[in-house]
Amino acid sequence: MANIELLILFLAGSALISYVLTRFNANIGSFFTIFVTMFVFVSLAGFGFAMNLDTTVNYLPGFTFSQSYLGFYFVIIITFVYLMVSFFHPYFINKFKYRSSYNFLFLLSLAGIIGAFYTNNFLQLFFFFELVIWTTMFLIPQGKSREAAVSYFGFSLAGSVALLLGIFMIFSQTGTFDINAGLAGLSGTTSVIVFILFLIAAFAKLGAFPLHIWLPIAHGNAPHPFSPVLSGALVKLGAFIAIFALIKIAPNTQTIGVLDLPLGHYMVALLGGLSIIFGTLMAIKEDDAKKLLAYSSMSHGGYILVAFSLMNGLAFAGGLYHILAHALASAGAFMAIAAVARVTGTTKMKEMGGMIHKMPITYLAYLIAIISMAGIPPMGGFISKWIIFQAVIDKGLIFVGIAVFFGSIGSFLYVFRPLAALFLGQELTEYKHVKEAPILMLIPTFIIMGLNIYTGVFPAKILDFINKIIVEVGYVPISVSTYAITGANDSILNPGLISLVFGIGVLIAFIIFILLKKSRKVELMDTYTAANFVHDEHLLHYTTDFYAPLERLYEKQSNWMTLFYQALAQKVKDLGSFCKYLFMSNHIGRTLLWIMLIIIALLWGEAL
Amino acid sequence: MILNLLLGVGIALFGFVLQTSLAGVNRKIIGRLQKRHGPKWYQEFIDIFKLLSKRSVTHGWIFDFGVIMALGGIIGTAMFMPLTTSFLAFETFDNFFIFVYLIAVGMLGMAMSASGSGNPWASIGVMRALTTMLAYEVPFLVVILTIIKLADSSSLTQIALYQQMAGNNWFIIALPLGGIVAVLALMGMLGKKPFETYIAPAEIASGPMVEYGGKQLGMLFIMHEITVFIEVSLFVHLFLGGASNIFIFLIKYAVVYTFVNLISNVNGRFKIDQVVLFFYKWPLLMAVVQAIIAIYFGWVI
Repeated sequence: MANIELLILFLAGSALISYVLTRFNANIGSFFTIFVTMFVFVSLAGFGFAMNLDTTVNYLPGFTFSQSYLGFYFVIIITFVYLMVSFFHPYFINKFKYRSSYNFLFLLSLAGIIGAFYTNNFLQLFFFFELVIWTTMFLIPQGKSREAAVSYFGFSLAGSVALLLGIFMIFSQTGTFDINAGLAGLSGTTSVIVFILFLIAAFAKLGAFPLHIWLPIAHGNAPHPFSPVLSGALVKLGAFIAIFALIKIAPNTQTIGVLDLPLGHYMVALLGGLSIIFGTLMAIKEDDAKKLLAYSSMSHGGYILVAFSLMNGLAFAGGLYHILAHALASAGAFMAIAAVARVTGTTKMKEMGGMIHKMPITYLAYLIAIISMAGIPPMGGFISKWIIFQAVIDKGLIFVGIAVFFGSIGSFLYVFRPLAALFLGQELTEYKHVKEAPILMLIPTFIIMGLNIYTGVFPAKILDFINKIIVEVGYVPISVSTYAITGANDSILNPGLISLVFGIGVLIAFIIFILLKKSRKVELMDTYTAANFVHDEHLLHYTTDFYAPLERLYEKQSNWMTLFYQALAQKVKDLGSFCKYLFMSNHIGRTLLWIMLIIIALLWGEAL
Repeated sequence: MILNLLLGVGIALFGFVLQTSLAGVNRKIIGRLQKRHGPKWYQEFIDIFKLLSKRSVTHGWIFDFGVIMALGGIIGTAMFMPLTTSFLAFETFDNFFIFVYLIAVGMLGMAMSASGSGNPWASIGVMRALTTMLAYEVPFLVVILTIIKLADSSSLTQIALYQQMAGNNWFIIALPLGGIVAVLALMGMLGKKPFETYIAPAEIASGPMVEYGGKQLGMLFIMHEITVFIEVSLFVHLFLGGASNIFIFLIKYAVVYTFVNLISNVNGRFKIDQVVLFFYKWPLLMAVVQAIIAIYFGWVI
């Protein structure tokens, strides 16, 4: 039987060993990382599903652990993404400046994750959260930019402070740091304040509007194998905090009668809607493939917030399923981009083209991931989006509905962009020598491809598990049979049937295709050019400003948020220099002024 | 189960035949409108079978695979389509969102194949098609949100039955503003003027279709006809009260398609950014107003 405490200690110990091993030989260290993550994943998966993990504590004084279905759901998804990504390490580790610390921090952050989801104490939760944030903060600058880490840390810090403040508010009212007792004991105005504070933490971690600025910077500049973890796994910590606020605290704010929804929850749903719209529009505009996917994470974070704020079992199930579907889709897409970036050395879409001819498997992985991301059957994203749609329509939320639909259609646009610009189109001469990713990198690619399809075809098992979580938090579970899911509005979905019918359609089309005369293969350059002689692949490759006519419509508005944060940063800087001016100067007069003021304060302190 | 699947394939085939004939008839009608004779009513069949019989070129496996995925996705979608309120392949599983999202698989396949041809006109055409989609889908889905909320079901046959019940009007009458939005969105879906920017023959050399010929083009023609069948049938079921028997369905179908075609033929063409601005101005506003007065105030005719 696996013990949580031992798992955490094991990870911390292995982190040290991997540090030494990587020092010695980078490849051995990376393979060691793979085995350690695999061991942790297997022990969690082996015992966690039936809640058979041992929670006793023998070595860590003061720590307590407990297990819940909710925590396990998160921890298994995140550990899975960590495991998948660890297969990429041997091929990327040599590109990093501080190899040994990379593996060390990677394992240590996983320890933090396991601790955060299995703890039952707020202070420990904060401790483990900080462990994750601090370790990842040092992982991110090993990519392209150091500033990315600063931006990530700044927003995470804002979230952490809000979280800590919320924890202290809970303690001051209920006198306990226990998570369940503390959340249950909240009431009155304090609960509203804690609700807001926790939501700030959740928004900062999830990268939701308006605390999203760090997301593209950090995801876009993080090391290639770490971006899938950031987007697929770590932002989900925000969703976990959002569940605390939206579902477990759920303060009694004024209810909007026609919607049957508290005002606070409705505001969160609207902000989630804004995240969806903003993320979609920015993703459509983005030229860097990784930043594009980062903005799409923001938009999907919005879906999760919308789902959690609707306060019923159906929407909650949709949100939880979306966490899984997005983790798989986003990890798959980011890993495909990482595999491409490994051979091309760039993630800018306008510099690439025609990668499909040399990397067909990576292409398929990306294709399946984006089909799921865009919510098209037969992939997992369709199930979760369908459930969320049903829940939104059932509540009659028109404005949230607009955002949800806009994000869903808009996602076709932005996911298609890397597909067209990076994988399809003309095969550029500079990439004619590249090869498909090595077999060790294809293993996780295949696994994620399979799971993306599995979640879309047979969701019943997963939804059964989600139902246990729903019962745990006290909602009505959704009705799931082996083949059909029943949503609101008396609607039934049969994902297996959809896949079957789609398969039959493709089969018919394939038969028609194969029966007809065989086509003659021609070169890609042999295309219709209105009788002009075009000699260069680059001239026939349409990638730059793909959606130019659409982008032009919101060009002016698109940098409002950046400008706002720049202005904010400038104000903070000004404040800093003002303090510097007052306290840290060689000017004798100012020093004397402060001495005088302090003496006056000391002398007349009581009188004042 | 096998029977249901066969029935589904039959419906897809029926849709193809119906729409292809009707498209031929419409070419004749438009011809008469423009004081021409117009082609024979079965001209569309001749075009398709001629294309299928020809030897063509291919630009690599994704070029072919995309075409197969496009036609397959559309056939799959058409298999779910009810013809009347009782005649459908998979009872209770005709959920509205299946049509919107399964059709997207076909669209994605075609877009992929077109981009895979390596012709920039094709990519521009795909870009325009996706942008148009972003424009018309959002107002349309807001109207559908209203309908699903009112009918309390997202199954097409249930929505049709709700309209056939005594005391309820067809949604095009019950929700007049939403009805107008739906007609406009339908024109966008069918790529009729003024929203045919993504084909725009003289401007971007037929857009996505520029590189196709022979069997690939023939299969995309079939795909197009079935897509039109799905979209027009959706309109019939959602807004015109569906059909209690197949003749009513045929009449409603023919009227809707011909009506849209007639409007289309007296219009010019929007630029692509004008399409977006158009749909996000009046249709979206009308859809939202309609949703608010229908859902929150309960004013339904």
